[in-house]
Amino acid sequence: MRSMSRRSLLAGAGALAGAGALTACGGVAGGSGGGAGGSGGLRYAFWGNNVRQTNYQKAFDLMAEENPELALKVEFADYEAFQERMTTQMAAGNVADIFWVPSPQVMTYYSNGLYRPLAEIDTLDLSDYTDADLQDFLLDGEHNTMPFGIFVPVVRHNATFAEEAGLDQIVTGDWKQFAELMKDYSAETEGRFGTAYSADADLPFEGWLRQHGEQLWTEDGKIGYSQEGLEAWIEYWEDLRTSGATPEIGQQDGVTASWEDAGDLCLTWFGNSNHIVDDATFFPDYDFALEHLPVASEAEEGHQFLYFPRMAIYKETSEEKASLAGEVLSFCTANVETQKLTGLTMGAPVNPRVTEEYREFATEDETSMLDVVTVDREVDRRPRYEAPPGSNTWRQVMVRVLEEITLGSSTISEGAASMIDEVSRGIERAAG
Amino acid sequence: MTLAKSAPPAQVAAPDPPPAPVGAGKGRGRRRQTAAAHVFLAPWLIGLVVITALPMLASLVLSFTDYNILSTPRFVGLANFERLLEDPRFWQSAKVTGIYVLVSVPLQLGFALLLALILDKGLRGLAIYRSAYYLPSLLGGSVAVAVLWKQIFGYDGLVNQGLAMIGIQGSNWLQNPDTALGTLIILNAWTFGSPMVIFLAGLRQIPEELYEAARVDGAGWARQFANITIPLLTPIIFFNLILQTIGAFQAFTQAHVVSGGTGGPVDSTLFYTLYIYQQAFVNFDMGYAAALAWVLLLVIAVITALHFTLSKYWVFYGD
Repeated sequence: MRSMSRRSLLAGAGALAGAGALTACGGVAGGSGGGAGGSGGLRYAFWGNNVRQTNYQKAFDLMAEENPELALKVEFADYEAFQERMTTQMAAGNVADIFWVPSPQVMTYYSNGLYRPLAEIDTLDLSDYTDADLQDFLLDGEHNTMPFGIFVPVVRHNATFAEEAGLDQIVTGDWKQFAELMKDYSAETEGRFGTAYSADADLPFEGWLRQHGEQLWTEDGKIGYSQEGLEAWIEYWEDLRTSGATPEIGQQDGVTASWEDAGDLCLTWFGNSNHIVDDATFFPDYDFALEHLPVASEAEEGHQFLYFPRMAIYKETSEEKASLAGEVLSFCTANVETQKLTGLTMGAPVNPRVTEEYREFATEDETSMLDVVTVDREVDRRPRYEAPPGSNTWRQVMVRVLEEITLGSSTISEGAASMIDEVSRGIERAAG
Repeated sequence: MTLAKSAPPAQVAAPDPPPAPVGAGKGRGRRRQTAAAHVFLAPWLIGLVVITALPMLASLVLSFTDYNILSTPRFVGLANFERLLEDPRFWQSAKVTGIYVLVSVPLQLGFALLLALILDKGLRGLAIYRSAYYLPSLLGGSVAVAVLWKQIFGYDGLVNQGLAMIGIQGSNWLQNPDTALGTLIILNAWTFGSPMVIFLAGLRQIPEELYEAARVDGAGWARQFANITIPLLTPIIFFNLILQTIGAFQAFTQAHVVSGGTGGPVDSTLFYTLYIYQQAFVNFDMGYAAALAWVLLLVIAVITALHFTLSKYWVFYGD
């Protein structure tokens, strides 16, 4: 072959090698163009499972059909991987134009200046919200993230089991009465339990704290509960566990109860209102229903709270893209057709109009979720504060402490003290 | 592997012919060859520098800083190294990893050698057996197998179903701190295929005449194994020992999947690499994670050096 000299071959090989090396250094999965003023389409980063990815893609396709300018470059991962990728993207200044915000990172991202103020995005449609709604959306007094769902803490019960036991309603009183019912149910049924051990369930824990005059986080970014408050919560669950009202820790696959392993063993399950959507499909032979948490007899008014999953527009996104991103946010939150495609895995729609429109199509489980959320949405609520920077590992710390307590290698008092100490150190470290 | 029985007969070296005068054309050709070699080496070299050497250097620098990924690193001197001495989770992760290395490596190598000896007996369908036994090595470090492990050792898993048949109610092996690490050691031992194949190749290299001579002298199977097989296999054992020890120090995937990334229950599967990961990507404490990583590198280097030093006492190269 004489058409290419060896010199040309070597030069070509060298060029290819160099180009390959440079290519390997640049870019992130699924997202060229960059959030920081790139000329490509909008990048949209979110997390979930394959079903969610498929459903959201259908919604994005619908959006692109209506407005081709809104064709998205999707960056999808599971929850843990999403956070890792976000961290490295933040370090590189290459965050997606629109991104979901994991709950432990809300204030961490805020303190690192990731959010673009939404007040300057005039394409974002907020006309359906009341002033009180908009006040709820604020972080540190700024409207810089857009909620796109609502969760509340709930007790989910297996309606089939309840009917068999002659129970119409499970939560009829305070926490003590609930515990007695759980113990009685476990004692009277063979191989079933009143509830799963759920001392690590974050929203119910927060609900308990608020009913007892405490809170998860303070306005100034500190732990909002006392050691005694935490001990009381753990003691409550230890009483249920040691009296046989919950499965053994091993039987439910750890202190974080596995729905797959223990969902069909328990009458009730503590968690977030949105979980019913995915969890119910796992046991199609059973019916499920949602109820609010038991209420402490001394609970003051306003203990209810709403948790919002949020999305945000990246601070460094160009003006042009930010304007388009505002349209995407509107499409995701103010359009019932979008909600029909995505379903309610991320909670009740945050837009009250969409919630009412969606009821027409809602399944029984979804209706149950919309009902509990609507009740809490309509009551006056005390303010709620997000997890401060440096506290993002508090749930892992809590699980480890609960493991030590349930295995007997630590007392409740020692565990509570060590959890508060470790979480506080993380917050102090982040504060510098 | 070739086993030299004795040194080759000494030969009188002929004097080298005088070097031929190098002409201008030959010099140009050699330079071209050198340039070509550099060009073909370039991708690897760039990779070594950009992907390995520079990040290593960066991590060394970061180990002396307080760095949360999102803000500028702040120089803290040896504070990260001092901190790890007082960190109970560092010691727990070192203990877990130490036990894992000490137990799983000999177990895996023993199992691999045993299977290699069986397969070396010339079974019919050897290739099929070899492939079948090698398969876990390909899958063993994968997420899928770790998930499978959860199904086997879970509360309603295969192990407990087997125990139930003989009237024993097992616990959740992965949720019990006394047994969780043991299940991961078994998982590692199960991935014996890679050292087994290397052992098998080593066994094939041992001359049959040695066994014949031993049999003639009345040596039984055990004597042959102890005095012929093991000594002549020591270079292979040493090779596998080095590789598996380093691999065991770096074990991560199984513990991450089985414990959901926590190293639980109560840190009983908190492998050292998992702790590094937690510090770096969960706590965003990158400076401390870098210090932990460098300690691991040093420990592996020291243990490997120790292996090489001690090898002269037990590894027989036959020369």
